[in-house]
Amino acid sequence: MRGRLVLQYAVSAAVIVGAIALWELGVKTGYLKAYQFPPASRIAEGFVEIATTGFPTGITIWSHVLTTVTRILQGYLAALALAIPVGLVIGAFPLVNKMLEPVIVFCRSIATLSLLPLVIVWFGAGELTKVILIAYGCFWVMLSNVIAAVVYVDPVLIRAGRSFGLKGVALYREVVLPAALPRMFAGARMALGVGFMVIVGAEMIGTIEGLGALIMEARTFYRSEITIIGMLVIGVLGFVISTGLAALERVLLPWGATGEGARA
Amino acid sequence: MNRERLTNIALPLIGTLIVVAVWEAASRLGAIDPRVFPGPVTAIAEAAGRLSADTVGEHMAWSLFRVFSGFALGVAAGVVIGVLAGWYRWFGLIARPLIELLRPIPPLAWIPLAIIWFGLGEPSKFFIIFLGAFFPVVTATYHGVTNVDPILVRAARTFGVGGWSLLARIVLPAASPDLATGIRIGWGLSFGVLVAAELIAADRGLGYMIMNERNTGGSVSVIIVGILLIGFLNLLTDAAIGSAIQRWIGRWHGSGV
Amino acid sequence: MTVGREGHSQVGSGAATRVEAEPSAGSAIRISNVTKSFGAPGHGPTVLRTIDLTVRENEFVSLVGRSGCGKTTLLNIIAGLERPTSGTVEIHGRAVRGPGQGQGVVFQQHALFPWMTALRNVVFGFRDASLSKSDKQERARELLQLVGLSAAADKYPREMSGGMQQRVAIARALALDPEILLMDEPFGALDELTRIELQQELLRIWEARKKTVVFVTHSINEALALSDRVILLAPHPGRIERDLAIDLPRPRLRTDPRFIALHEEIWKGLSS
Repeated sequence: MRGRLVLQYAVSAAVIVGAIALWELGVKTGYLKAYQFPPASRIAEGFVEIATTGFPTGITIWSHVLTTVTRILQGYLAALALAIPVGLVIGAFPLVNKMLEPVIVFCRSIATLSLLPLVIVWFGAGELTKVILIAYGCFWVMLSNVIAAVVYVDPVLIRAGRSFGLKGVALYREVVLPAALPRMFAGARMALGVGFMVIVGAEMIGTIEGLGALIMEARTFYRSEITIIGMLVIGVLGFVISTGLAALERVLLPWGATGEGARA
Repeated sequence: MNRERLTNIALPLIGTLIVVAVWEAASRLGAIDPRVFPGPVTAIAEAAGRLSADTVGEHMAWSLFRVFSGFALGVAAGVVIGVLAGWYRWFGLIARPLIELLRPIPPLAWIPLAIIWFGLGEPSKFFIIFLGAFFPVVTATYHGVTNVDPILVRAARTFGVGGWSLLARIVLPAASPDLATGIRIGWGLSFGVLVAAELIAADRGLGYMIMNERNTGGSVSVIIVGILLIGFLNLLTDAAIGSAIQRWIGRWHGSGV
Repeated sequence: MTVGREGHSQVGSGAATRVEAEPSAGSAIRISNVTKSFGAPGHGPTVLRTIDLTVRENEFVSLVGRSGCGKTTLLNIIAGLERPTSGTVEIHGRAVRGPGQGQGVVFQQHALFPWMTALRNVVFGFRDASLSKSDKQERARELLQLVGLSAAADKYPREMSGGMQQRVAIARALALDPEILLMDEPFGALDELTRIELQQELLRIWEARKKTVVFVTHSINEALALSDRVILLAPHPGRIERDLAIDLPRPRLRTDPRFIALHEEIWKGLSS
C-alpha cells in the first residue's frame, strides 16, 4: 500500500517535471512565445529578483504576501467576530430565522466584488475598502453556515439532552452549541476561501501592494514570468492556509466529526 | 397544513419588507446621508431616470451571454476530463497532478495571464469564467466516478454490462450527485468571476456599467441598483439551476444539492 | 412511594378494557386515556387512541408492534419529550410535565454526544448540581464498570462499536438514577450476537438496580426473552391489542415449548 503511494507521488512529480521540460523546449524551439509562456528558467530568475530587489523595486514578494495576508485576516476576523454571535442568536429563534432568510440569501447572492464601486464611493480606494469587501464576502458565508449549523443539529442529540431535563439556554449551551461546532468550522473554512478569492480581485484595482496588485502590475510591464510567480505564490498560500485550518480543526475538534454537508 | 404553508410564505415576506422599510426610513429620517446611500425608492427612481431599459438590457444580455457560454464550456470540459481521469488510470495519473497544482489558484488570479494570452477582448473573460466552472466540476466528477459504490459496479457486471456501457449506464448516473454539487459551486464561482472581470477590464456588461458609473462620477443610485440587479440575476439563475438539478436527480437522490 | 394515595384506584374510562388486573400497590407508571394526534385537532393523523396502561414497580414491560403503531410516540410521552393530545401520564402518582422526573431514556440510535468521550458522556448524565466534579467522575467510572466498559472510558463514540456505544448510552441513562428506564429499540441496530449479549447485560442490570423498564422493540424474541409483560400495539390508530403476562423463569430458552407457544400467540396477534 505504501509502495503504491510512493509510486503515485513519483508519477505526479514526473508529470509535472515533464510538463515543465516540454514547455521549456517549446520556447527554445520557438513554438511558444517566451512572453506568453515564460519558461521555467526565466521564472526562476524572476523569483530571485522578486525575492531580493522586489517588484516594483523595493517591494519584495514577502512584503506582498504580508500585505495580502494582513488584509485578509483583518476582514476575515472582523466577519467571524460579527457572524458567529449574530448567527447563534438568529439560529436560536426559528421565527426570526424564517423572516430573515430571504434577506440573508440575497445578501449572499450579491457578488462581493460588485460592491467595489460602491465601497470606493463611500470609503475611497484605500485599505479600508479592501478590508470591508473581504469582511462582506466572509460574513454572509459564515453567517449562513452558523445558522444552518444550529438549525440542523441532529434532533436525536437534542432529545437526549432533553431527556436529562435540559432546556432553554442550558440545552443550547451544552448540546446545541458543541454539536454545531463542526459545521461552523466548515463555514469558517469556506469563508476564508471566499476572502482569498475577493482579495485577489480587490487588489487589482487602485493599489501596487499585495499579490493581486503584483500580478496585474507585472503584466503592465510585460513581465509575464512575475505574473506567473505571483499566481503560484497565491496558490501555495491558499493551499497552506486551508491545510493549516484542517489541522487546526483536528486539534480543536478531536472527536473527528468533519464538517460534512456544509456547502456553499 | 394550510396554516403552516401560509406562515412559510408570510414570514419571509414580512421579514424582507421590514428590512427594506428600515432602509427607506433610515434614509428619510437622515440616519444615513441619502446622497451617499439613498433609500430604495429614491435609488430606483433616480436610476430609472438615468438609464434606459434598453441600455440595462444590453449590459445584462452581455453579462449573461459571457457567463453562460464560459460556464457551459467549463462544465463540458470538466465532465469529460473528470470522467476520463477517473475511469482510465493512466490518464488520471497524468491529469491529476496538473489539476491539483493549478486548482488552488483562484480564477481571478488568472486575469493578467488571460490578458497576456488572449488580449483584452472577450476571449480572456471567457477563459476565466471557464476556469471558474472547470475546476469545481472536474474535481467533483473525478471524485464521483472514483467513489462509485463498488457493489453497483459488481451488480452491473453480473448482468454482463461492461466497458462504455458500464460507464454510461452505471458509473455516470451514480456519480451525478457529486457532479451536481460541482455544477452548483461552479456556477457561483463563474458568476463571481464574471462581475470581477467586467469591473477590471470590460467595456460592456453589468459589472462595467456600475464601475463606469463610479469612474465618471455618476450617481450612487445607479451603482446600488446595478448591484441589486446583479444579486437578483445570481439568485434567479442559481435557483433555476437548483431546480433543474432537482428534476434531474431529486427523485432518486432524495435531496437537492 | 405512593401506595394508598387517593385517586389511585380511580382510573380513566378505559380501565374496564384492560386485560391486566388492577395493581394493588406500587404502580410506577399510570397511563390514562392517552390520545395523541399530530397537526391541528381533528385534522392530523391520530397516532395513539385512548391508551390505558399501568406498569408496576420493577416490572419489565415491552411494547411490540408494527411500524406506525405509535410505540415510540408512547415511549416519548412517558419520557415527557412529547405531550399527549389528551389524557394523563403519572409516574409514582406525579403527573408527567416534562423530562427529568425520574425517567432515563435510551434511544434507538445511541444518541451519545460525539464531542464527549465515553466517560464524559456518562458524567453528563449526573445533573445533580450538588455533586462535585470528581464525585461525578468516580460514579461515572463505576457505571462504566457496571456495563463492562472500564477500558473504553477515554474513547470517543466514533471509536467504539455499536454495542459499546449502546452500553455507554445505558450507563449514561443510569447516571440519572432513574426510577424508570425507557428504551426505544436500543438494540435494533446491533448484530444478533451483540444483541443477545446486551439483552443479558440489561437483565443483569435490571435485577441489580431494581428499575422499572419500558422497552420498545419489534422483535418478538427480544420481547419474550426480556419481559414480564408484553403489550401488543395495533396501528392506525395506535391502540393496545393485547396484554400478555410472561411468567417464564429467567434465563429463558428459545427452545422452551412455552416460549414457542407464546411466540406463536404474539405473532398471530400482530398479523391479525
